[in-house]
Amino acid sequence: MADDEFRQQALRHIDALYNLAVYLTRNGSEAEDLVQETYARALRFSHRFEPGTYMRAWMFQILRNTFLTFYRLREREPALSEAGVPEGEAPMFHHAPAEDGESAGAHMDLERALERIPEEFRTPLLLAEVEGLSLEEVARIMDCPVGTVKSRIFRAKERLRGLLKDYEGPDLTT
Amino acid sequence: MTSEMNEGGADEMGQLLRERLPRHQAPARLRVSVADALDPPEPRRRPSLWLAPALSALATAMVMVLWLAPALPRSSPDSMQRLSRAVVSEYARAVFTGDVDPGLVPSTLPRVMQETGVRLPWVFTGDQDIRLVNAQPAYLEGRRALALTYQDRDGHSVSYIISHGPTVVIPDRERVQIARWRPAVRTEDGLSLIVWRQSGLVCVMVSDLVSASDLGRFKEYFVKVRSSTEVTPNY
Repeated sequence: MADDEFRQQALRHIDALYNLAVYLTRNGSEAEDLVQETYARALRFSHRFEPGTYMRAWMFQILRNTFLTFYRLREREPALSEAGVPEGEAPMFHHAPAEDGESAGAHMDLERALERIPEEFRTPLLLAEVEGLSLEEVARIMDCPVGTVKSRIFRAKERLRGLLKDYEGPDLTT
Repeated sequence: MTSEMNEGGADEMGQLLRERLPRHQAPARLRVSVADALDPPEPRRRPSLWLAPALSALATAMVMVLWLAPALPRSSPDSMQRLSRAVVSEYARAVFTGDVDPGLVPSTLPRVMQETGVRLPWVFTGDQDIRLVNAQPAYLEGRRALALTYQDRDGHSVSYIISHGPTVVIPDRERVQIARWRPAVRTEDGLSLIVWRQSGLVCVMVSDLVSASDLGRFKEYFVKVRSSTEVTPNY
C-alpha cells in the first residue's frame, strides 16, 4: 500500500481510536498521548500491514498493545485526573454535546460502571458492541480465541448489569 | 457476529451501550498533531539536465564532510534534538537574565499567559523543596512558549517550558516511567531534560541536575510540577 494511501486510511480512524483510548486510560490527556503513540507505531510498522485486511482492527490492536505496554501499571494504582483528583469523583472528560440532566446522569452512571470492569472485559465489549467489530476481529485484537471473547463479552454485560443496579436514577437496564 | 452474544437478554445491554454511552471525539489539536506526524516527506523531483554534475559535486562534498565530520557541528538533528537545543537556549536565557522574585509571579503570570497563549488553570507554586521564582514568555523554534522557573533549596534552577508545538514525536526508547507518567528523559549540553505532551502542548522541564542522585531529585520535581499544574492551550 502506498504511504499516502496508508496515511489517509489511518487518519480516518482517529475518532474511534480516541474513543477507545479515553475508556482505557480514563483520562483525556493520556488518551491523546496514547493515540499519538499509536499512530507513531502504526507508521513505523506500516510495512507489516497487509493490504486488504481491516485497518481499523489493526489500529485498535496497536492501540491496545501500546496501552498494555505503557499504561497498564497505572491500572493497579488509584486513577488520578490531571488535577490529582480521584477520577471516580470527577466528571469524565468528554466532548458529548450538552444534554438534559437525566440523560447526562445516565451517561455518567454507565461510564462509571464501565470503568469498574477490568480491561480484559471492557475492551472486547466496547470493540464488539460500540465499534461493531466482528468477534473474529476482536479475538485477533485481544490475542485470544473467539470463544474467550464471547465469554468475556457475556461476563462484561452481566457485570455491567449488576453495577448499574447499584446506581440510583433511571433504570438503565430495562 | 455480535448478535451471537446477545442471547439470553444481553441484547439490551449492547443496545444501551450503543445508544447511551458517549462517544469521545478526537480533539482538533490531536487531529492536527497526528496529521502533522503522518505528514509525508516532500515528493521527489524529476531528474533534470543538471543532475549528473550536481551528483558529482555532491559526492565530492560528501567526501569532504566525512573527512571533516569530527570537527563539524552535527547537522540535520531530529525533532527531539532541535527541541532540546531550543530548550537549552531558553533555559540559559531564563537563568541568566530572568528575575528571581517569587513575589512578582502572581502579578506577571496573567500577562505572560495572555502573551503566550498558554493557560495555566492551576500552577504548582512550590513547597519546602522547590519554589516558583519567575514566569516569562519564551520561544521554541519560533513558536510562543511560557517558561516557569523554579529554584530548589540548593540553588539549582529548573525551567518548565510549555509550547504550542513544535510537532515532536517522543521516541519510545527515551521514555522512562516516572510515577504514573512516561515522559522522555534525555541530556543535552550537560543539562537534563524531561519531555512530554499534555493537552496538545509540548512540555519540557530542564535543569542542571545531571548526576545520578540529582536526576532522582529532578524526577521528584517533575512529579510535583506535573501533578499540580494544569496546562491548556488558549487559542
